[in-house]
Amino acid sequence: MTVVSTGTVRRIGIGVGGIGLGFGLWWVAVVLFAPPTYILPAPAAVLGRLAGNPTLYIENAWITTQKVLLGGGVGAASGIVLGVLIAKIRVLRASLLPYLVTMRVLPKIAIAPVLLIYFGLGMQTAILFVAIIAVFPVAISTAAGFERVPERHLDLLQSVAANPRRTLVRVEARYALPDVFAGLKQAAALSVIGAIVAEWIVSTSGLGYLILVASETVQTTVLLAALLLLVAVGLAIYGSVALFQRVTVGPSSRYAGPT
Amino acid sequence: MTAIELVDVSVEFEGVQALAEVHLAVEPGEFVTVIGPSGSGKTTLLRTIGGLQEPTRGAVSIDGEDPESAQSEGRIGYVFQDHTLFPWQTAIENVRFLREMAGKSPKPGRARSILSEMGLDGFEDHYPEALSGGMKQRVAIGRALHLGADLLLMDEPFGELDELTREEIGVEIRRLWRDHDRTIVFVTHSVPEAVLLGDRCLVVDGPPGRIVRQFDVDLPRPREESVLESAAFQSTVSDIRAELHRKA
Repeated sequence: MTVVSTGTVRRIGIGVGGIGLGFGLWWVAVVLFAPPTYILPAPAAVLGRLAGNPTLYIENAWITTQKVLLGGGVGAASGIVLGVLIAKIRVLRASLLPYLVTMRVLPKIAIAPVLLIYFGLGMQTAILFVAIIAVFPVAISTAAGFERVPERHLDLLQSVAANPRRTLVRVEARYALPDVFAGLKQAAALSVIGAIVAEWIVSTSGLGYLILVASETVQTTVLLAALLLLVAVGLAIYGSVALFQRVTVGPSSRYAGPT
Repeated sequence: MTAIELVDVSVEFEGVQALAEVHLAVEPGEFVTVIGPSGSGKTTLLRTIGGLQEPTRGAVSIDGEDPESAQSEGRIGYVFQDHTLFPWQTAIENVRFLREMAGKSPKPGRARSILSEMGLDGFEDHYPEALSGGMKQRVAIGRALHLGADLLLMDEPFGELDELTREEIGVEIRRLWRDHDRTIVFVTHSVPEAVLLGDRCLVVDGPPGRIVRQFDVDLPRPREESVLESAAFQSTVSDIRAELHRKA
Protein backbone atom coordinates (compact mmCIF):
# COMPACT_ATOMS: atom_id res chain seq x y z
CA MET A 1 0.00 0.00 0.00
CA THR A 2 1.35 3.41 -0.95
CA VAL A 3 0.77 5.68 2.02
CA VAL A 4 1.83 8.93 0.33
CA SER A 5 0.46 9.00 -3.21
CA THR A 6 0.95 11.69 -5.85
CA GLY A 7 -2.54 12.94 -5.04
CA THR A 8 -1.62 13.31 -1.37
CA VAL A 9 1.54 15.24 -2.24
CA ARG A 10 -0.51 17.51 -4.51
CA ARG A 11 -3.10 18.08 -1.76
CA ILE A 12 -0.36 18.92 0.76
CA GLY A 13 1.23 21.26 -1.79
CA ILE A 14 -2.07 23.06 -2.36
CA GLY A 15 -2.58 23.34 1.42
CA VAL A 16 0.89 24.81 1.97
CA GLY A 17 0.32 27.17 -0.98
CA GLY A 18 -2.98 28.27 0.62
CA ILE A 19 -1.21 29.09 3.88
CA GLY A 20 1.43 31.06 1.95
CA LEU A 21 -1.32 32.96 0.16
CA GLY A 22 -2.94 33.80 3.52
CA PHE A 23 0.35 35.24 4.79
CA GLY A 24 0.70 37.18 1.52
CA LEU A 25 -2.78 38.73 1.85
CA TRP A 26 -2.07 39.58 5.48
CA TRP A 27 1.14 41.34 4.46
CA VAL A 28 -0.62 43.19 1.59
CA ALA A 29 -3.35 44.35 4.01
CA VAL A 30 -0.74 45.72 6.43
CA VAL A 31 1.14 47.52 3.63
CA LEU A 32 -2.00 48.94 2.01
CA PHE A 33 -3.96 50.02 5.09
CA ALA A 34 -1.11 50.51 7.59
CA PRO A 35 -3.26 49.68 10.64
CA PRO A 36 -1.88 50.35 14.13
CA THR A 37 0.21 47.41 15.35
CA TYR A 38 -2.17 46.79 18.27
CA ILE A 39 -4.88 46.10 15.64
CA LEU A 40 -2.88 44.16 13.03
CA PRO A 41 0.88 43.77 13.24
CA ALA A 42 2.79 42.65 10.14
CA PRO A 43 3.50 38.91 9.66
CA ALA A 44 7.23 39.60 10.03
CA ALA A 45 6.63 41.21 13.44
CA VAL A 46 4.64 38.21 14.65
CA LEU A 47 7.20 35.73 13.36
CA GLY A 48 9.97 37.92 14.86
CA ARG A 49 8.18 37.76 18.23
CA LEU A 50 8.09 33.93 17.96
CA ALA A 51 11.78 33.80 17.05
CA GLY A 52 12.72 36.36 19.70
CA ASN A 53 11.49 34.35 22.66
CA PRO A 54 11.12 30.76 21.46
CA THR A 55 11.31 29.21 24.96
CA LEU A 56 8.16 31.03 26.12
CA TYR A 57 6.14 29.86 23.13
CA ILE A 58 7.53 26.33 22.91
CA GLU A 59 7.02 25.72 26.65
CA ASN A 60 3.44 26.95 26.53
CA ALA A 61 2.75 25.10 23.30
CA TRP A 62 4.04 21.90 24.91
CA ILE A 63 1.77 22.42 27.93
CA THR A 64 -1.24 22.87 25.64
CA THR A 65 -0.21 19.89 23.51
CA GLN A 66 0.02 17.70 26.62
CA LYS A 67 -3.53 18.67 27.58
CA VAL A 68 -4.77 17.92 24.07
CA LEU A 69 -2.97 14.57 23.86
CA LEU A 70 -3.71 13.34 27.38
CA GLY A 71 -7.26 14.69 27.58
CA GLY A 72 -8.03 13.75 23.99
CA GLY A 73 -6.45 10.32 24.48
CA VAL A 74 -8.45 9.57 27.62
CA GLY A 75 -11.62 10.90 25.96
CA ALA A 76 -11.03 8.94 22.76
CA ALA A 77 -10.26 5.67 24.57
CA SER A 78 -13.32 6.07 26.81
CA GLY A 79 -15.40 7.02 23.77
CA ILE A 80 -14.39 3.89 21.87
CA VAL A 81 -15.22 1.61 24.83
CA LEU A 82 -18.50 3.43 25.43
CA GLY A 83 -19.39 3.31 21.72
CA VAL A 84 -18.83 -0.45 21.51
CA LEU A 85 -20.90 -1.02 24.66
CA ILE A 86 -23.71 1.20 23.34
CA ALA A 87 -23.74 -0.66 20.02
CA LYS A 88 -23.63 -4.14 21.55
CA ILE A 89 -25.78 -3.84 24.69
CA ARG A 90 -29.29 -2.55 24.05
CA VAL A 91 -30.14 -2.03 27.72
CA LEU A 92 -27.04 0.09 28.16
CA ARG A 93 -27.90 2.08 25.07
CA ALA A 94 -31.40 2.83 26.37
CA SER A 95 -30.13 3.77 29.81
CA LEU A 96 -27.29 5.94 28.51
CA LEU A 97 -29.32 7.71 25.84
CA PRO A 98 -30.64 10.50 28.13
CA TYR A 99 -27.07 11.24 29.26
CA LEU A 100 -25.78 11.22 25.69
CA VAL A 101 -28.52 13.59 24.54
CA THR A 102 -27.80 15.82 27.54
CA MET A 103 -24.10 15.83 26.67
CA ARG A 104 -24.94 16.70 23.11
CA VAL A 105 -27.09 19.73 23.92
CA LEU A 106 -25.05 20.98 26.89
CA PRO A 107 -22.58 23.75 25.97
CA LYS A 108 -19.35 22.11 27.13
CA ILE A 109 -17.87 25.41 28.23
CA ALA A 110 -20.48 25.50 31.00
CA ILE A 111 -18.88 22.41 32.57
CA ALA A 112 -15.51 24.12 33.13
CA PRO A 113 -16.59 26.26 36.14
CA VAL A 114 -18.15 23.15 37.71
CA LEU A 115 -14.86 21.27 37.33
CA LEU A 116 -13.05 24.28 38.77
CA ILE A 117 -15.14 24.02 41.95
CA TYR A 118 -14.65 20.25 42.28
CA PHE A 119 -11.02 19.86 41.23
CA GLY A 120 -9.50 23.35 41.41
CA LEU A 121 -6.96 24.91 39.07
CA GLY A 122 -4.42 22.69 37.40
CA MET A 123 -3.36 20.29 34.72
CA GLN A 124 -5.58 17.39 35.81
CA THR A 125 -8.71 19.56 35.71
CA ALA A 126 -7.84 20.74 32.20
CA ILE A 127 -7.20 17.16 31.07
CA LEU A 128 -10.54 16.07 32.50
CA PHE A 129 -12.29 18.91 30.71
CA VAL A 130 -10.67 18.01 27.38
CA ALA A 131 -11.56 14.34 27.92
CA ILE A 132 -15.22 15.22 28.55
CA ILE A 133 -15.29 17.21 25.32
CA ALA A 134 -13.59 14.46 23.28
CA VAL A 135 -15.59 11.48 24.52
CA PHE A 136 -18.94 12.30 22.93
CA PRO A 137 -18.09 12.40 19.19
CA VAL A 138 -15.95 9.28 19.49
CA ALA A 139 -18.64 7.33 21.37
CA ILE A 140 -21.39 8.26 18.91
CA SER A 141 -19.25 7.58 15.82
CA THR A 142 -17.97 4.27 17.20
CA ALA A 143 -21.50 3.11 18.01
CA ALA A 144 -22.64 4.11 14.50
CA GLY A 145 -19.68 2.24 12.98
CA PHE A 146 -20.40 -0.99 14.82
CA GLU A 147 -24.05 -0.77 13.77
CA ARG A 148 -23.02 -0.40 10.14
CA VAL A 149 -21.78 -3.98 9.78
CA PRO A 150 -23.91 -5.61 7.06
CA GLU A 151 -26.29 -8.17 8.56
CA ARG A 152 -25.38 -10.67 5.84
CA HIS A 153 -21.73 -10.64 6.93
CA LEU A 154 -22.75 -11.52 10.45
CA ASP A 155 -25.00 -14.25 9.05
CA LEU A 156 -22.06 -15.61 7.07
CA LEU A 157 -19.90 -15.75 10.19
CA GLN A 158 -22.72 -17.29 12.22
CA SER A 159 -23.08 -19.96 9.53
CA VAL A 160 -19.58 -21.19 10.47
CA ALA A 161 -20.14 -20.65 14.21
CA ALA A 162 -17.33 -18.06 14.28
CA ASN A 163 -16.14 -17.06 17.73
CA PRO A 164 -18.08 -13.86 18.71
CA ARG A 165 -14.97 -12.16 20.14
CA ARG A 166 -12.99 -12.81 16.94
CA THR A 167 -15.95 -11.59 14.90
CA LEU A 168 -16.02 -8.40 16.98
CA VAL A 169 -12.31 -7.74 16.59
CA ARG A 170 -11.67 -8.94 13.06
CA VAL A 171 -14.86 -7.98 11.27
CA GLU A 172 -17.06 -5.58 13.23
CA ALA A 173 -14.15 -3.42 14.39
CA ARG A 174 -12.77 -3.30 10.84
CA TYR A 175 -16.13 -2.13 9.50
CA ALA A 176 -16.36 0.45 12.29
CA LEU A 177 -12.85 1.88 11.72
CA PRO A 178 -13.79 4.66 9.25
CA ASP A 179 -16.49 5.90 11.63
CA VAL A 180 -14.18 5.60 14.63
CA PHE A 181 -11.63 7.71 12.80
CA ALA A 182 -14.29 10.26 11.81
CA GLY A 183 -15.04 10.58 15.53
CA LEU A 184 -11.34 10.76 16.40
CA LYS A 185 -10.79 13.58 13.91
CA GLN A 186 -13.72 15.50 15.41
CA ALA A 187 -12.31 14.81 18.87
CA ALA A 188 -8.85 16.03 17.79
CA ALA A 189 -10.26 19.38 16.69
CA LEU A 190 -12.52 19.66 19.76
CA SER A 191 -9.65 18.74 22.10
CA VAL A 192 -7.66 21.76 20.95
CA ILE A 193 -10.69 23.98 21.59
CA GLY A 194 -11.18 22.24 24.94
CA ALA A 195 -7.56 22.78 25.96
CA ILE A 196 -7.77 26.50 25.18
CA VAL A 197 -11.06 26.93 27.07
CA ALA A 198 -9.58 24.96 29.98
CA GLU A 199 -6.55 27.25 29.99
CA TRP A 200 -8.85 30.29 30.15
CA ILE A 201 -10.80 28.94 33.12
CA VAL A 202 -8.93 26.24 35.04
CA SER A 203 -5.23 26.79 34.18
CA THR A 204 -2.45 29.34 34.57
CA SER A 205 -0.25 28.19 31.70
CA GLY A 206 -0.38 27.13 28.06
CA LEU A 207 -1.09 28.90 24.78
CA GLY A 208 -4.69 29.60 25.83
CA TYR A 209 -3.52 31.33 28.98
CA LEU A 210 -0.93 33.26 26.95
CA ILE A 211 -3.66 34.37 24.50
CA LEU A 212 -5.86 35.46 27.41
CA VAL A 213 -3.11 37.50 29.07
CA ALA A 214 -2.00 39.02 25.73
CA SER A 215 -5.60 39.97 24.99
CA GLU A 216 -6.09 41.65 28.36
CA THR A 217 -2.85 43.64 27.92
CA VAL A 218 -3.51 44.36 24.22
CA GLN A 219 -0.26 42.69 23.11
CA THR A 220 -1.62 41.74 19.68
CA THR A 221 1.74 40.53 18.40
CA VAL A 222 2.04 38.04 21.26
CA LEU A 223 -1.59 37.02 20.81
CA LEU A 224 -1.14 36.32 17.08
CA ALA A 225 2.17 34.53 17.67
CA ALA A 226 0.44 32.23 20.17
CA LEU A 227 -2.48 31.77 17.75
CA LEU A 228 -0.12 30.78 14.93
CA LEU A 229 1.51 28.20 17.13
CA LEU A 230 -1.90 26.94 18.22
CA VAL A 231 -2.92 26.45 14.58
CA ALA A 232 0.31 24.49 14.02
CA VAL A 233 -0.41 22.27 17.06
CA GLY A 234 -4.01 21.69 15.92
CA LEU A 235 -2.98 20.85 12.36
CA ALA A 236 -0.23 18.49 13.54
CA ILE A 237 -2.61 16.56 15.82
CA TYR A 238 -5.42 16.40 13.28
CA GLY A 239 -2.96 15.46 10.54
CA SER A 240 -1.49 12.67 12.68
CA VAL A 241 -4.93 11.15 13.20
CA ALA A 242 -5.69 11.44 9.47
CA LEU A 243 -2.34 9.83 8.57
CA PHE A 244 -2.88 7.02 11.06
CA GLN A 245 -6.29 6.44 9.48
CA ARG A 246 -4.73 6.30 6.04
CA VAL A 247 -2.16 3.73 7.19
CA THR A 248 -4.53 1.47 9.13
CA VAL A 249 -7.74 1.71 7.12
CA GLY A 250 -6.68 2.25 3.52
CA PRO A 251 -8.90 3.84 0.88
CA SER A 252 -12.42 4.52 2.13
CA SER A 253 -13.92 2.93 -1.00
CA ARG A 254 -12.96 -0.48 0.42
CA TYR A 255 -15.55 0.07 3.15
CA ALA A 256 -18.47 0.85 0.92
CA GLY A 257 -19.88 -2.62 1.63
CA PRO A 258 -21.36 -5.01 -0.92
CA THR A 259 -21.64 -3.52 -4.38
CA MET B 1 -28.06 -40.92 6.11
CA THR B 2 -30.25 -38.04 4.95
CA ALA B 3 -28.22 -34.86 4.34
CA ILE B 4 -31.02 -32.51 5.35
CA GLU B 5 -34.20 -33.38 7.18
CA LEU B 6 -36.97 -31.03 8.20
CA VAL B 7 -39.86 -32.51 10.17
CA ASP B 8 -42.98 -30.42 10.65
CA VAL B 9 -41.00 -27.19 10.77
CA SER B 10 -42.77 -23.91 11.43
CA VAL B 11 -41.13 -20.53 11.87
CA GLU B 12 -42.73 -17.48 13.36
CA PHE B 13 -41.12 -14.15 14.11
CA GLU B 14 -42.63 -10.93 15.37
CA GLY B 15 -46.11 -12.40 15.13
CA VAL B 16 -45.76 -13.37 11.46
CA GLN B 17 -45.71 -17.00 10.45
CA ALA B 18 -43.02 -17.36 7.81
CA LEU B 19 -42.99 -21.16 7.43
CA ALA B 20 -45.70 -23.67 8.23
CA GLU B 21 -45.46 -27.44 8.64
CA VAL B 22 -42.56 -27.97 6.26
CA HIS B 23 -41.38 -31.53 5.70
CA LEU B 24 -38.29 -32.08 3.60
CA ALA B 25 -35.64 -34.73 3.12
CA VAL B 26 -32.59 -34.15 0.92
CA GLU B 27 -30.21 -36.97 0.08
CA PRO B 28 -26.41 -36.53 0.14
CA GLY B 29 -25.14 -35.20 -3.18
CA GLU B 30 -28.59 -34.06 -4.28
CA PHE B 31 -29.05 -30.72 -6.03
CA VAL B 32 -32.36 -29.23 -4.90
CA THR B 33 -33.68 -25.97 -6.27
CA VAL B 34 -36.31 -23.86 -4.52
CA ILE B 35 -38.61 -21.56 -6.43
CA GLY B 36 -41.55 -19.40 -5.46
CA PRO B 37 -42.86 -15.85 -5.50
CA SER B 38 -41.26 -13.05 -3.47
CA GLY B 39 -42.07 -13.24 0.23
CA SER B 40 -43.12 -16.88 0.03
CA GLY B 41 -40.54 -18.00 2.60
CA LYS B 42 -37.74 -19.35 0.38
CA THR B 43 -35.02 -17.45 2.20
CA THR B 44 -36.50 -18.34 5.60
CA LEU B 45 -36.49 -21.99 4.55
CA LEU B 46 -32.81 -21.75 3.62
CA ARG B 47 -31.93 -19.86 6.82
CA THR B 48 -33.74 -22.48 8.88
CA ILE B 49 -31.85 -25.30 7.19
CA GLY B 50 -28.56 -23.43 7.80
CA GLY B 51 -29.28 -22.76 11.47
CA LEU B 52 -29.54 -19.00 11.00
CA GLN B 53 -33.22 -19.12 11.92
CA GLU B 54 -34.48 -21.13 14.87
CA PRO B 55 -37.70 -23.04 14.09
CA THR B 56 -40.62 -22.23 16.35
CA ARG B 57 -41.81 -25.80 15.99
CA GLY B 58 -40.44 -29.01 14.50
CA ALA B 59 -36.91 -30.26 14.00
CA VAL B 60 -34.08 -29.64 11.54
CA SER B 61 -31.15 -31.98 11.15
CA ILE B 62 -28.03 -31.93 8.99
CA ASP B 63 -26.52 -35.39 8.60
CA GLY B 64 -28.47 -36.43 11.68
CA GLU B 65 -27.18 -33.57 13.82
CA ASP B 66 -28.62 -30.18 14.68
CA PRO B 67 -27.58 -27.29 12.37
CA GLU B 68 -25.46 -25.68 15.12
CA SER B 69 -23.20 -28.75 15.19
CA ALA B 70 -22.87 -28.63 11.41
CA GLN B 71 -22.05 -24.90 11.65
CA SER B 72 -19.35 -25.44 14.25
CA GLU B 73 -17.76 -28.16 12.10
CA GLY B 74 -17.77 -25.82 9.07
CA ARG B 75 -19.97 -28.16 7.07
CA ILE B 76 -22.40 -25.46 5.88
CA GLY B 77 -21.30 -23.10 3.11
CA TYR B 78 -23.57 -20.14 2.55
CA VAL B 79 -23.64 -18.09 -0.65
CA PHE B 80 -25.86 -15.02 -0.50
CA GLN B 81 -27.36 -12.87 -3.22
CA ASP B 82 -24.94 -10.09 -2.34
CA HIS B 83 -21.46 -11.55 -2.42
CA THR B 84 -20.64 -10.71 1.25
CA LEU B 85 -16.94 -10.38 0.50
CA PHE B 86 -14.99 -8.38 3.07
CA PRO B 87 -13.98 -5.18 1.26
CA TRP B 88 -10.60 -4.80 2.98
CA GLN B 89 -9.45 -8.26 1.93
CA THR B 90 -8.25 -9.41 -1.47
CA ALA B 91 -10.01 -12.26 -3.28
CA ILE B 92 -7.63 -14.88 -1.90
CA GLU B 93 -7.72 -13.41 1.61
CA ASN B 94 -11.52 -13.59 1.50
CA VAL B 95 -11.39 -17.23 0.45
CA ARG B 96 -8.99 -18.11 3.28
CA PHE B 97 -10.62 -15.93 5.93
CA LEU B 98 -13.91 -17.83 6.31
CA ARG B 99 -12.08 -21.13 6.80
CA GLU B 100 -9.92 -19.45 9.43
CA MET B 101 -12.96 -17.96 11.19
CA ALA B 102 -14.52 -21.43 11.15
CA GLY B 103 -11.53 -22.61 13.18
CA LYS B 104 -10.36 -25.02 10.48
CA SER B 105 -6.70 -25.66 9.80
CA PRO B 106 -5.27 -23.81 6.79
CA LYS B 107 -4.80 -25.63 3.50
CA PRO B 108 -1.74 -24.11 1.83
CA GLY B 109 -2.20 -23.58 -1.88
CA ARG B 110 -5.79 -24.78 -1.88
CA ALA B 111 -7.36 -21.31 -1.99
CA ARG B 112 -5.27 -20.40 -5.03
CA SER B 113 -6.19 -23.58 -6.87
CA ILE B 114 -9.90 -23.06 -6.11
CA LEU B 115 -9.76 -19.51 -7.47
CA SER B 116 -8.02 -20.87 -10.53
CA GLU B 117 -10.75 -23.47 -10.88
CA MET B 118 -13.29 -20.63 -10.68
CA GLY B 119 -11.57 -18.90 -13.61
CA LEU B 120 -10.01 -16.20 -11.45
CA ASP B 121 -6.35 -16.70 -12.33
CA GLY B 122 -4.55 -13.39 -11.98
CA PHE B 123 -7.28 -11.86 -9.82
CA GLU B 124 -6.24 -13.44 -6.50
CA ASP B 125 -4.78 -10.22 -5.14
CA HIS B 126 -7.55 -7.92 -6.35
CA TYR B 127 -9.83 -6.25 -3.83
CA PRO B 128 -13.60 -6.76 -4.30
CA GLU B 129 -13.99 -3.16 -5.50
CA ALA B 130 -11.87 -4.09 -8.55
CA LEU B 131 -13.89 -7.22 -9.43
CA SER B 132 -17.05 -7.49 -11.53
CA GLY B 133 -20.30 -8.77 -9.99
CA GLY B 134 -19.79 -12.20 -11.52
CA MET B 135 -16.20 -12.40 -10.28
CA LYS B 136 -17.24 -11.46 -6.75
CA GLN B 137 -19.87 -14.18 -6.75
CA ARG B 138 -17.28 -16.67 -8.03
CA VAL B 139 -15.02 -15.72 -5.12
CA ALA B 140 -17.95 -16.20 -2.72
CA ILE B 141 -18.61 -19.67 -4.15
CA GLY B 142 -14.88 -20.46 -4.01
CA ARG B 143 -14.87 -19.40 -0.38
CA ALA B 144 -17.66 -21.89 0.42
CA LEU B 145 -15.71 -24.63 -1.38
CA HIS B 146 -12.47 -23.78 0.44
CA LEU B 147 -14.35 -23.98 3.72
CA GLY B 148 -14.78 -27.66 2.90
CA ALA B 149 -18.53 -27.49 3.45
CA ASP B 150 -20.39 -30.51 2.15
CA LEU B 151 -23.68 -28.64 2.16
CA LEU B 152 -23.95 -25.50 0.06
CA LEU B 153 -26.91 -23.20 0.68
CA MET B 154 -27.27 -20.66 -2.10
CA ASP B 155 -29.76 -17.85 -1.71
CA GLU B 156 -30.37 -16.39 -5.16
CA PRO B 157 -26.63 -16.13 -5.81
CA PHE B 158 -27.26 -14.96 -9.37
CA GLY B 159 -29.89 -12.38 -8.38
CA GLU B 160 -27.71 -9.36 -9.07
CA LEU B 161 -26.01 -10.69 -12.20
CA ASP B 162 -26.82 -10.09 -15.85
CA GLU B 163 -28.25 -12.89 -18.00
CA LEU B 164 -24.97 -13.86 -19.67
CA THR B 165 -23.03 -14.01 -16.39
CA ARG B 166 -25.86 -16.03 -14.81
CA GLU B 167 -25.52 -18.62 -17.55
CA GLU B 168 -21.74 -18.73 -17.24
CA ILE B 169 -21.79 -19.20 -13.48
CA GLY B 170 -24.65 -21.68 -13.84
CA VAL B 171 -22.31 -23.83 -15.92
CA GLU B 172 -19.62 -23.45 -13.22
CA ILE B 173 -22.03 -24.47 -10.47
CA ARG B 174 -23.07 -27.60 -12.37
CA ARG B 175 -19.44 -28.54 -12.91
CA LEU B 176 -18.47 -27.86 -9.30
CA TRP B 177 -21.40 -29.86 -7.98
CA ARG B 178 -20.38 -32.78 -10.20
CA ASP B 179 -16.65 -32.57 -9.39
CA HIS B 180 -16.86 -31.83 -5.67
CA ASP B 181 -19.79 -34.07 -4.73
CA ARG B 182 -21.66 -31.50 -2.61
CA THR B 183 -25.27 -31.33 -1.53
CA ILE B 184 -26.76 -28.07 -2.79
CA VAL B 185 -29.96 -26.22 -1.96
CA PHE B 186 -30.32 -23.37 -4.42
CA VAL B 187 -32.98 -20.65 -4.20
CA THR B 188 -33.85 -18.90 -7.45
CA HIS B 189 -36.53 -16.80 -9.13
CA SER B 190 -35.84 -18.30 -12.53
CA VAL B 191 -37.79 -21.42 -13.51
CA PRO B 192 -35.43 -22.43 -16.35
CA GLU B 193 -32.47 -22.04 -13.99
CA ALA B 194 -34.20 -24.17 -11.35
CA VAL B 195 -34.83 -26.93 -13.89
CA LEU B 196 -31.42 -26.74 -15.54
CA LEU B 197 -29.56 -27.01 -12.23
CA GLY B 198 -31.67 -29.20 -9.98
CA ASP B 199 -32.40 -32.88 -9.50
CA ARG B 200 -35.54 -31.78 -7.78
CA CYS B 201 -37.39 -28.49 -7.73
CA LEU B 202 -39.42 -27.43 -4.71
CA VAL B 203 -42.23 -24.96 -5.30
CA VAL B 204 -42.78 -22.80 -2.23
CA ASP B 205 -45.82 -20.63 -1.67
CA GLY B 206 -46.80 -18.38 1.18
CA PRO B 207 -46.91 -16.69 3.54
CA PRO B 208 -46.79 -18.79 5.54
CA GLY B 209 -44.25 -20.63 3.43
CA ARG B 210 -45.09 -24.21 2.52
CA ILE B 211 -43.63 -26.62 0.00
CA VAL B 212 -46.70 -26.94 -2.17
CA ARG B 213 -45.22 -29.24 -4.78
CA GLN B 214 -42.02 -31.00 -5.75
CA PHE B 215 -40.91 -31.74 -9.29
CA ASP B 216 -38.33 -34.40 -10.04
CA VAL B 217 -36.20 -33.14 -12.91
CA ASP B 218 -35.67 -36.15 -15.07
CA LEU B 219 -33.01 -34.82 -17.41
CA PRO B 220 -29.70 -36.49 -18.19
CA ARG B 221 -26.46 -35.24 -16.63
CA PRO B 222 -24.14 -33.61 -17.38
CA ARG B 223 -26.57 -31.03 -18.69
CA GLU B 224 -25.27 -28.87 -21.48
CA GLU B 225 -26.92 -25.82 -22.98
CA SER B 226 -28.57 -28.05 -25.59
CA VAL B 227 -30.82 -29.47 -22.90
CA LEU B 228 -32.64 -26.12 -22.85
CA GLU B 229 -34.20 -27.01 -26.20
CA SER B 230 -35.25 -30.52 -25.25
CA ALA B 231 -38.92 -31.39 -24.93
CA ALA B 232 -38.44 -32.79 -21.42
CA PHE B 233 -36.88 -29.52 -20.23
CA GLN B 234 -39.61 -27.40 -21.81
CA SER B 235 -42.30 -29.61 -20.38
CA THR B 236 -40.90 -29.44 -16.82
CA VAL B 237 -40.54 -25.66 -17.06
CA SER B 238 -44.16 -25.39 -18.25
CA ASP B 239 -45.41 -27.60 -15.44
CA ILE B 240 -43.61 -25.54 -12.79
CA ARG B 241 -44.79 -22.27 -14.32
CA ALA B 242 -48.36 -23.58 -14.37
CA GLU B 243 -48.05 -24.49 -10.69
CA LEU B 244 -46.70 -21.04 -9.80
CA HIS B 245 -49.47 -19.29 -11.77
CA ARG B 246 -52.12 -21.55 -10.26
CA LYS B 247 -50.91 -20.50 -6.82
CA ALA B 248 -50.78 -16.83 -7.81
